[in-house]
Amino acid sequence: MREVVILGVGLHKFERFTDKTLVELGEVAISNALKESGVPFKDIEAAYVGHCYAAMGTGRSVVTQFGETGIPIVNIEVACSSATQALLRGAWEIASGLYDVVLAVGVEKMGTGLISMGGETDRYIVEMGYMVMPASYAMMARRHMHDYGTTFEQLAMCSVKEHKNGALNPYAQYQREMTLEEVMNSRMIADPITLYMCSPTSSGASAAVICAKEKAKKYISKKPITIAGWALSSGTYAREALEFGGMEELAQKAYDRAGIGPQDIDVAQVHDAFSPGEIFIPESLGLIPEGEGGRWIEEEKTEINGVLPINTDGGLVARGHPVGATGIAQVAELVWQLRGEAGPRQVPGKPKVALQHNAGIGGVIVSIYKR
Amino acid sequence: MAVQRKQVPIDGRLFKLPSSPSEKAHLIGSRCRSCGETFFPKRSYCANCTSPDMEEVALSTRGKLETFTISRATPPGSLIQAPYGLGYVRLPEGCIVQTVLSECDPQKLEIDMDMELVIEKIREDEEGNDVMAFKFKPV
Repeated sequence: MREVVILGVGLHKFERFTDKTLVELGEVAISNALKESGVPFKDIEAAYVGHCYAAMGTGRSVVTQFGETGIPIVNIEVACSSATQALLRGAWEIASGLYDVVLAVGVEKMGTGLISMGGETDRYIVEMGYMVMPASYAMMARRHMHDYGTTFEQLAMCSVKEHKNGALNPYAQYQREMTLEEVMNSRMIADPITLYMCSPTSSGASAAVICAKEKAKKYISKKPITIAGWALSSGTYAREALEFGGMEELAQKAYDRAGIGPQDIDVAQVHDAFSPGEIFIPESLGLIPEGEGGRWIEEEKTEINGVLPINTDGGLVARGHPVGATGIAQVAELVWQLRGEAGPRQVPGKPKVALQHNAGIGGVIVSIYKR
Repeated sequence: MAVQRKQVPIDGRLFKLPSSPSEKAHLIGSRCRSCGETFFPKRSYCANCTSPDMEEVALSTRGKLETFTISRATPPGSLIQAPYGLGYVRLPEGCIVQTVLSECDPQKLEIDMDMELVIEKIREDEEGNDVMAFKFKPV
């Protein structure tokens, strides 16, 4: 298998409301990614486009703005991990030798309020009030509090940290710091999750240009970042699991493929659709010892200057969560961190290895990136 | 003359209503004859071992509260109005049931507490039947 590198990433700022069309959002992100990569659009051999709420054929509408070159353009939907799936679909095809250069994109425009699944859902699931997205994180958080003594304050501290990092990120939807009191006293949504522990509904776009490492020299790009190993899962049945089973095994698969272990991770992005995710997800990935997530937050170990910086761009909660575009926004932050280009958010000590965890109703991904 | 209103389940796959006063309502699950795992709702193939050799089983009406939350918002289309409890109940068969809780005061709910199945009217249908949903309540 051939090694695959990221030559360029680009975003359109995440926003709550926008007058722009999906095509306009996507065009900005793709244009930024092409610029970083030094790749002319005519060299792109295939494109994968993640989105969840957009119309059929959206990928083609967005990508052909740059030229009707006849390349295959395929839409990818895996809920909140759609964009990362688009990126890694391209990476597989480059690794296997089918293509040399692929474009991956995520675009989304969302309404407000509790989100729906779109399409058809069993009537009883809707009528019986199961469709409360924060409820699943809330129930995992409550279980964590019961099993390990994690406190409500510690859950709120995750949100404070997310907003502190978001305030340093020009692409973030919320660029304002928040106090512990503001988070704790904001409206309760699903106990113990308050409003400011929830990722917002958002609009935005993300893009990445990836290339076979052996062909990368052709382009005058920013420093290429290697996609060192990744693993995808739709969840393995486990009697004990409240959500996806087999997370530990999935993470191990990604570590093995990248030839590293959790102790080698210098900076991480985890899927904090709701703030408490920053406590229990890193534990499931072996990044934080079981049960210690709450204490790590309290001891500021996951801050930008901590031993394991997590969600340096504000995470889903502060950066925003346009579901189909989120994945590549996570990747973009890690690419900038590994290149040393994250500005005021830069993790000190020249990080070399980064981890991404992106999860949605449709599946979960762990992916490792190396400088 | 008052006509006895007919009760129908919100979804016939989920539970059976009692057919006589001596019977109790119960959830319908599937047990895999190959590996022994039990599931709710019922399914045709085993999630654990992929076997198609599944039998329909009447599930226990009591279990333990694995975890819970109180939803303070009513999602679009929901007939259950906020605030309401949502939880996972672990049945003795090993399977977990996502469920609405009849209790929405977090002070009265506790992880690992004993819970019991209840059937409640959620709406009426076009034919004037009472449409019934299941919930769990603290024992």
